[in-house]
Amino acid sequence: MGATLPAGEASAQTRAETLRYVTGNTVNSLDPSVPGSTRESFGLSMNVYDRLAAFGRKRLGDNWVFDHNDIRGELAERIDRSPDGRTFTFHIRQGATWHDGTPVTAEDVKWSLDRAVSARSLAPPQMSTGSITSPEQFRIAGPRVVEMMVERPDRLALSNMCVPYAIMINSTLAKRHATTDDPWALNWLKDNSAAGGAYIVEQHRPGTQTILRRNDNWRGGEQPGFRRVIVQTVPEVATRANLVERGDADLSIDLQPSDVAALAQRGRVKVVSVPQTNGFTHISMNNTMAPFDDVKVRQAIAAALPYQDMFQAALFSRGRALFGADWTTTPPNSDFPQPMPLHTNLERARELLRESGHPNGFSTTFTIGTGVSAWAEPMAALIKESLARININVDIRKLPDAQFNTGQAERTLPFYTEAGTAWLPAPDYFFRLYFTRPQRWNFASFNNEEINALTREAQFETDAARYDAACKRMIEILAAEVPLILAWQPLHEAVMARNIEGYTYWFYRQADFRDLKRV
Amino acid sequence: MSDAAQPAPRGGKWGAVGRRVGVRLLSAVPALFGVLIFTFLLMRVLPGDPAVFFAAGANAGQAEIDMVREQMGLDRPMHEQLVRYLWDITRGNLGNSMTTGQPVRTDLIERLPASLELTFSALLLALSLALPLGIVAALRPGTLVDHVVRFLCTLGVCVPTFVSGLLLIYVFYYLLAWAPDPTGRLDIFAATPPEITGFLLIDFALVGDWEGWRAAAGQLILPASTMALFVLAPLARMTRASMLAVLGSDFVRTAKSLGLSNWRIIVVYALRNALLPVLTISGIVFSTMLGANVLVEKVFSWPGVASYALDALLASDYAPVQGFVLLMATIFVMVNLLIDILYGVADPRASVA
Repeated sequence: MGATLPAGEASAQTRAETLRYVTGNTVNSLDPSVPGSTRESFGLSMNVYDRLAAFGRKRLGDNWVFDHNDIRGELAERIDRSPDGRTFTFHIRQGATWHDGTPVTAEDVKWSLDRAVSARSLAPPQMSTGSITSPEQFRIAGPRVVEMMVERPDRLALSNMCVPYAIMINSTLAKRHATTDDPWALNWLKDNSAAGGAYIVEQHRPGTQTILRRNDNWRGGEQPGFRRVIVQTVPEVATRANLVERGDADLSIDLQPSDVAALAQRGRVKVVSVPQTNGFTHISMNNTMAPFDDVKVRQAIAAALPYQDMFQAALFSRGRALFGADWTTTPPNSDFPQPMPLHTNLERARELLRESGHPNGFSTTFTIGTGVSAWAEPMAALIKESLARININVDIRKLPDAQFNTGQAERTLPFYTEAGTAWLPAPDYFFRLYFTRPQRWNFASFNNEEINALTREAQFETDAARYDAACKRMIEILAAEVPLILAWQPLHEAVMARNIEGYTYWFYRQADFRDLKRV
Repeated sequence: MSDAAQPAPRGGKWGAVGRRVGVRLLSAVPALFGVLIFTFLLMRVLPGDPAVFFAAGANAGQAEIDMVREQMGLDRPMHEQLVRYLWDITRGNLGNSMTTGQPVRTDLIERLPASLELTFSALLLALSLALPLGIVAALRPGTLVDHVVRFLCTLGVCVPTFVSGLLLIYVFYYLLAWAPDPTGRLDIFAATPPEITGFLLIDFALVGDWEGWRAAAGQLILPASTMALFVLAPLARMTRASMLAVLGSDFVRTAKSLGLSNWRIIVVYALRNALLPVLTISGIVFSTMLGANVLVEKVFSWPGVASYALDALLASDYAPVQGFVLLMATIFVMVNLLIDILYGVADPRASVA
């Protein structure tokens, strides 16, 4: 910086207007829909790109969380839905421009939507969950108006316009870098942006750091508080904690629960802890593999797990328990995930095991991935100990993440734990994604005719009462069949400088810099 | 290495050295080729499907997994993949990293200077400590001094680098605030020098930005010390052993009886002769450090090649791991060659063979 006195003041000011965010992961792509892009890439793209629509946020206790039932326009200033629920009309914000200053046109929006359903990326399968599958569903209806049509009134059609993959792209710029092999400019957009969002990418070094500058012409929402944002990769978790506590960094998420507890106690930083309302940690059994194909065996395991101890050992009870509910057959409401009637009862477990024809127990393997070993290892040890009491011998196997994921996708793991989050926390979406079809995210390989039928119908159910009833029924079946055990929702914990306000928990589990301010 | 049969005229000597270096480099080609094939096969034998790992988006199913597999070229038969890989290498293309989304070559070129700078600094630091310690220990074998040196070395080698690294950070950054924040090669808010060599200390010196130079050196001290502590033991112990052997030899006794000063005997006669084994071990230590400093790079967020390769390995990302191993093998060959040439400087009887 300069040598004169006021320059020092200016640089102090710059520091106050800069947010330094340290993360263990890296931003490896500026286009979030490229296969292999990380969670950091999703978070970054929310700040760099606009979508047609966005979720609102609401208060949960002292904290902010996203609200998927409140959808507002982002690049669209108005969204009309036809009475039959099948046509959405997006009116592009007047005066909206891209980062290069050119105006946003209906052609840009149409191109971006076409790309989301046609490119060889991870966007099309996501869009299809809202019945959005083909470019023919999008139509330019005026100079700043685009229509989207779905065959049936899908409950999640509009929600899918808010997810990270639904980015709106400056098509003139992107097309300049498209090739015959790569008509949607996937390669170019991985390292470059053609966006119009709240922040402009100033420097992008994959694997080390990405620097953002505020776009002062952005009108998609309230002007963000920080002029600059530095996203820096700091692999060592203890160092990230030190940096924030010493005041050198402003924000970090995904720290170890034990570190967060200590940081909160010392009180030099602000800790925001929000239950991951759209997430869950589960203990899955392979329902197509003996002995877990027998519902009595699954119920026996569910009755034998030491829930409270696992919760304490794995997460220091920092989360929302999904066990120990006191209802028996019918859930009190249709929310999901919600606490299930799971209780530790070894006597009952032994009885169930006898009834299933395994009076002398059996042996099995419990698998954990190295990426989650911080909480999964204590959990695995307690599971082994507890199941030994009902004569089930458990071997614990720890695998590198790539190997773990392969086993999971190939359905060769009999018994394992993992955590998942659904971007769109609608109960029917949860069930469709995690409990139906022979696909990777059906963790337990569950196949229940009634749930299959219910999810097919609920997706298009416009009557609120009937939708509620269907969701409750699915939760009942889950409680009775225990294809997998829902353990808890971990807390999403963000540690930040004490003068930072507005942190919001988003469904993609990353910080949205647009929410933050230094006060 | 062999004794030179006869002294050659000056120009001819350098010509001979050049020829020998050429022969040595050529003879390294089969070894490198073997390493290439071996890593290629090894990566594919390892369990863990990269396509599954990278097609991990919500709702991504078998179709997306197949798509990623095709993009990575893994849908083709193994022998075809190998031929394509070799063809790409001859054109300097090491493939693409899925982990960072960049060509492997770009990643390695960007990260190698960081690793080299750290390793060089650590080795220099280690040598500047190990040589005096080893000499002192050899001059007073069996005394308290010797034991203290032995204790220091044992301590250094016993404490894993991630422990000593975190400990140094805790004391010098967190408690005392003497060290700058231990993330990367330069303060995140500081201006970077123009890319000339990629070595920050050299680049800053070239443009004459001494403030920047001090900042870069400050960032380097803790990670370099962490690594230096770890390799102190082999260097100091080797110096001690080698010095002991030389100090007991005839020519030192002769020098003593001639009444030469102690300083002259130790530094000029004994040390120079004792350096050969130390040089050999330094070469090995350097090559090992370069690949094995992954923990130090992780702890200090150092953007080097070792942490890059580890991330790729955990994700079963083939191309970066293969590229890294090839790079390491090449560096190993170069370092060994350099050591052999340095032999000739330390001991004129030795030459490159």
